[in-house]
Amino acid sequence: MKTKKFLVLALLTILALVVSACAAPAAAPGAAPAAGGEAASSGAEEFTTPHPILSDVKVRQALAYCIDREALIASVYPYVEDGAELLMDSFLPKTHWAYVGPYTDLPMYDPDAGKALLDEAGWTQADGAPVRTNAAGDSLVLKFTTTSAQFRQTWSAVMIQNLADCGVQIIPTYAPASWWFGDTTGLARRDFELGAFAWVGQTEPAGRSLYACDQIPLPSNNWEGQNYMGWCNETASKAIVQATNTLLREDRVAAYDTVQQEFAKDVVSIPVFQRAEAEAWSSNLTGILPDATEYATTNLAEWALADGGDTIVIGMTQEPDSLWATISSMAASALVRMAIDNERTWTQYDYDFQVRLQTELSTLESGLAANNDVEANAGDTVYNTAGEPVALEEGVLVFDKDNNEVTFDGATAVPMKQLVVTYKMNPFTWSDGTPGTIADFELARTIDCDPDSGATTFTTCESIQDVAWSADALEYTVTYLPGVQTPTYFLAPFAPYPSQRVISDGRVLVDVPAAEWATLPEVTEMPLSWGPYMVKEWNKGQSIVLEANPYYEGDVTTPNVIFVFVADTNQAVAQLLNGDVDYLDDSTLGAGAEVQTVIDAANSTGNVQYEISGSATWEHIDINLFTK
Amino acid sequence: MTAYLIRRLFQMVIVVFVVSLFMFFLFNIAPGGPLTGLQQQQRRITPEEKARIRAQYELDLYWPVRYTRWLVGQPQGPLVIGGQEWFANVPMGCYLEATPEEGGGCADYVYLSEMPELHPPIKSSRGILFGDFGNSTVVQAGRPVWDLLASRLMATVELQVISLVLALVIAIPLGIYSAVNQYSKFDYTFTTAAFVGSSMPTFFFGLLFILLFTVLAGRAQEVWPWWPTLPPGLREAVRPYDVASWLRVQPGTPLDRFLHLLMPVAVLTIFSVAAWSRFLRSSMLEVLRQDYVRTARAKGLVERLVINKHALRNALIPFITILVLQIPIFFAGAIVTETVFAWPGMGRLYFDALNRSDYNIALAFIYVTTILTVVATLLGDILYSVVDPRIRY
Repeated sequence: MKTKKFLVLALLTILALVVSACAAPAAAPGAAPAAGGEAASSGAEEFTTPHPILSDVKVRQALAYCIDREALIASVYPYVEDGAELLMDSFLPKTHWAYVGPYTDLPMYDPDAGKALLDEAGWTQADGAPVRTNAAGDSLVLKFTTTSAQFRQTWSAVMIQNLADCGVQIIPTYAPASWWFGDTTGLARRDFELGAFAWVGQTEPAGRSLYACDQIPLPSNNWEGQNYMGWCNETASKAIVQATNTLLREDRVAAYDTVQQEFAKDVVSIPVFQRAEAEAWSSNLTGILPDATEYATTNLAEWALADGGDTIVIGMTQEPDSLWATISSMAASALVRMAIDNERTWTQYDYDFQVRLQTELSTLESGLAANNDVEANAGDTVYNTAGEPVALEEGVLVFDKDNNEVTFDGATAVPMKQLVVTYKMNPFTWSDGTPGTIADFELARTIDCDPDSGATTFTTCESIQDVAWSADALEYTVTYLPGVQTPTYFLAPFAPYPSQRVISDGRVLVDVPAAEWATLPEVTEMPLSWGPYMVKEWNKGQSIVLEANPYYEGDVTTPNVIFVFVADTNQAVAQLLNGDVDYLDDSTLGAGAEVQTVIDAANSTGNVQYEISGSATWEHIDINLFTK
Repeated sequence: MTAYLIRRLFQMVIVVFVVSLFMFFLFNIAPGGPLTGLQQQQRRITPEEKARIRAQYELDLYWPVRYTRWLVGQPQGPLVIGGQEWFANVPMGCYLEATPEEGGGCADYVYLSEMPELHPPIKSSRGILFGDFGNSTVVQAGRPVWDLLASRLMATVELQVISLVLALVIAIPLGIYSAVNQYSKFDYTFTTAAFVGSSMPTFFFGLLFILLFTVLAGRAQEVWPWWPTLPPGLREAVRPYDVASWLRVQPGTPLDRFLHLLMPVAVLTIFSVAAWSRFLRSSMLEVLRQDYVRTARAKGLVERLVINKHALRNALIPFITILVLQIPIFFAGAIVTETVFAWPGMGRLYFDALNRSDYNIALAFIYVTTILTVVATLLGDILYSVVDPRIRY
């Protein structure tokens, strides 16, 4: 009897769940969605109403004045001697080539100035009252949202106290990262007033999706864009579009300068600090080249053990998900890939680019690239001003050859710029002894540009009009769509895949459809290499063993390298101090309390060395200028 | 008994089904997922791009559809009967949502007829009921979940079996001795120690041991080179290392494996011994107060026989419940201990899968653990009737 009741209850529950989940109506294929739904007809769209407090620039400036960022830095990086080095007054670190500050308009710590501004903005503080109020009696209370990471809770506690001293009350929410960074929750839905997170800076700063007016996520654009603040400054917006669509670096520097000036004036996002990063290694290990923008293992071939050992051990808290760059963006995976060199034909040290497999960077100055004038006619596929490949038709906005924004009238041809770039490669040999061929690059384009490959982006593929593969040399020429003016045009878009490789079922890799690539061990676990090392063994959950690639053209100092997966930073540090691992990169060591342990050990025993530097990642507080 | 077994088996099937359904549903409504952080890459992501990426993880399908595909590998496409397709136009999910201006709802449904093209069999599971756990989506993207589980299983079994045997060997005599000598100095000391042992989280002991036997021992070794240190983690070393000036260990040797096992086994054993011995002590105390024990003593039996033959056997009966529930742990592992000691076992894999929203691994893990738990419970009930003739089903 009980069983029957239980069964009925279970079935009812299942039925309820199924019904609730299948709320979407059934419709025949091709049925058009009903026009003018409820959301569209009921009042203003979400996030188009200015925030009653934060839309006032004086309040935003006051917030920036009131936050003692050096104290915030000291709270999370007690071991950093000069915290001021991590301070930022722009969205770029001071060492970046596009930074030409200082940008003094961005308020730095001056609580008195902050209080005066708040008074001016109508938020006054009665004697003895903890919180400021306005004439209407509303309190100056703001919601602050960030992740539950201890690091952020620590610095935000100092910030909350700073703001309380200025009469601003903060209600913090420390949400799980899965909610805050979820694809349909938190930040993606602009569900914050003040929101803290980090951006990872890049060698080529980009930033269009962050600061352009057309990148403000709204229900009406299906939440597209990353301008979560809702910042639309026409000058800055135009400049960021120019900066990301101009080939000459000096022009880009000027454009980025404009954006940074406006960014500082409007205070829509407060750069808190550049994150510190620490990496540590055994004193027995030499050849490490710490860098903010390049993976440490990029020069692994030069690493050596002073005691003559033949095996370097690198500790990582994460295990790579795949060694195929197309589907993996993990740092752990990149660290291995850079050692086996199957990902890029170039490197990016010190916020700049250098060649690796390419013979030289294919810049306009090198003669390998040309920026031709072409006439774009109706029906041609071109890049529009939003950076999308579109058919040229009446009303489409494009940049003409002089970089002016023009609207196509449907008839008159538009003179546009078209990049034609040749990428020349040095000869190379795969780790199975097969010489690299141009077919390997051709295969890379076929697979990387196939929607079934599992790649997350096809921006590069979609920007290409045609590729000419050389019949007798290791080079290919890419003709980009008219209007494509990608600043990094000189970097080869495709790195080679071993087209000759035979997989376990007897097929040759060139014959395997892209949809299967992510499931092939020959691609994801034991890829062939053209770099200094190749994968010898991958013991799941334990280690990846590399050995020197006998066909590598250059020198390899240490023949064996083993990446071990240690799960936990404490464990990784213990392994380093015990001499079981030789190197911990910044993604493993991080910048938490464990760094102090390493520093103490370095000072007391001298067995380990460390490097602490400002990373390309920067914490900031975005200010939502609009309210739901 | 046969009727009882059939009834229990039927109940077990329902329990496993309901658990799997609820877990699937909970993962579906929990925030986050494989697309977490996509917006944090500093580049433009159009709704179309997002839709394509969602579809890679089958997130474009309604969750009951995903559930049945995960459970039995269906539906894979329209039903074909007599050469005619049925239900081809039934929507199975929403590929692209419409904006409010477009009226909201779904702009592009996924119809059953489109399933073979959008979600080809090569990328989907044949169904967990048929032994296909599907592919990992994040932890080892694209690789079979079963391969991952298999690669970790032995490490967990090794750790758990050794610590279980050790814990039993230590906990049972301790519990008995403590009960028999109730209120003695030993009993007080043991009770306090067991209380501390079971109260402290395993990561505390884990970190404490690493600090003592690796970090501080390493410092001591600098002064006294003969002083031994223990490897702080992993299952085996990857290159030769010195435990002390008098002992160099080669990787992968039995000695190397033994040294790597010491600390994680010790932590798990301490925890189990503390909990089990206290349990056994109270069970034993209860039995020792029974009339039949008094009778045994009254008729002149030697104390050893009274304890071992009469009391212990009955005191162990409730202990069966605890023991059989260890069976699922052989599979599930010890999440915290494995993580602290970088032990490449199932617990660490599960922790990683949950952290990184690899639902196929997490679900497979929960599914197998659920089955083992219900089987273990049944086994416990059967064993009860074997060891205690008074129990009849």
